Amino acid sequence: MRLLRQIRLLLVAELRQEIRSFEVVLTSAFFSLVMLALFALSLGAIPASAQVAAAPGALWLSVAFVGGLTLTRVFDRERESDTLRALLVAPVDRLAIYFAKAAIALLVLLIATAVLVPGLVVVFPAAAPMAERPLFTAALVVLGCVGYVAVGTLFAAGLATGSGKNVLLSLILHPLTTPVLMFNLVATRALLEAHPGADAYLGRMAAVDVILVGLGAWLFEPVLVGGGGSQRRAAARPGRGA
Amino acid sequence: MRRFLPDVMLLAAAAIFPYSVARIFLDTPIERTMGTAFKIFFFHVPMGWLCMLMALVCGIAAGIELRRRSTTASAVALAAAEIGFVCGLGVLLTGPIWGNATWGKPWTGDARQMSTALLWLILAAYLLIRHYGPENSRRLAAALAIFGAVDVPIIYYAVKLWKTTHPTTEVVGSLPPALWASLWPGLGALVLCTLGLMGIRIRQLLIAEELDDAWVRLADRRG
Repeated sequence: MRLLRQIRLLLVAELRQEIRSFEVVLTSAFFSLVMLALFALSLGAIPASAQVAAAPGALWLSVAFVGGLTLTRVFDRERESDTLRALLVAPVDRLAIYFAKAAIALLVLLIATAVLVPGLVVVFPAAAPMAERPLFTAALVVLGCVGYVAVGTLFAAGLATGSGKNVLLSLILHPLTTPVLMFNLVATRALLEAHPGADAYLGRMAAVDVILVGLGAWLFEPVLVGGGGSQRRAAARPGRGA
Repeated sequence: MRRFLPDVMLLAAAAIFPYSVARIFLDTPIERTMGTAFKIFFFHVPMGWLCMLMALVCGIAAGIELRRRSTTASAVALAAAEIGFVCGLGVLLTGPIWGNATWGKPWTGDARQMSTALLWLILAAYLLIRHYGPENSRRLAAALAIFGAVDVPIIYYAVKLWKTTHPTTEVVGSLPPALWASLWPGLGALVLCTLGLMGIRIRQLLIAEELDDAWVRLADRRG
């Protein structure tokens, strides 16, 4: 209960900060529109049979890029005022920090997908089943984004506590989130092809999410709070980052 | 004796390897369906196994490194990642040559091809983070290695949901004894070479660590 209360408090703080400027939500939604325009220009004229393969790819590639942008920006705010370090020394469970950060990133990503999914239905007529089965699509999007955010939050937080170099997030994030994105692709394609076993894919995505959230939560504290020795050594060592 | 073990392993590998190559090309019969291109199997498969093994070793060592903050585990993880990276590169180069001769095209997007390519990308990302990451890069890289080790079977399963054209493990398991007999010396040489190189690299990394510590102590003493 204590953990839930801490998550709620941190999430409310995050939301309050976001509502003041809507910076992350607006930039992510706008970037989603840019991605849609790019996909419409490059793939809009392909035949319907190819659209069944293209639309899931367009959706989850956009989520991957928007997710990278969102996670970078969510933790950039902490880095600019060095508040993540303050949060880590506060009497708050580290798991609460992880879940609150993941929740705000998930929320922004879901808002971005609320722009992406209808946009893709317009650009690719073969993606119409996404509009015809809104509950399935919603579950698909939520499960897909949860896995992505579970991995992304851990590494974005890890990079935010370092000195700059958050450009490395893409290097880490994209290879590691590939399994989630692949499951999402398979499930989305099954939805578009009206595959009878489409529902079973949601179960598999949920299982992958459980593994990734569990790993992310387990590794959050060791990644963010390391031994003082290594930091001291790194600070004293000339010309080397590690 | 322990100090020279890696050198002994490398010497043994150097002695076995020419015998293995001669056996593969001169004594092993040509496979009926795949022809001469099947000879790649004797290099491709052991490198694939070693790449997977090194990713696993890297993940386990990274877990120990995070848990116990062990310098030795950190060195083992880095050495395993470097060797896994090289083995993965070997697999990704020899695989398409074999695939082109067998399937008619070098890349089919098959489950094992994709999972090996992604594993190689994760190992590459691990090495980039270790070398160019911020001050907490070791912990980040360790988490990456653990995620990588967990990701590989998931990637494999995800791609398998689509399609697979790769020979199954049963095909490899049902090889005639003559082909197995030619596989073992090459595999042995590669394993010895890998362990020898790993031993040398771990020693080198630990010495570098000790030098860094000595440098910090000196800087502290100078105030």
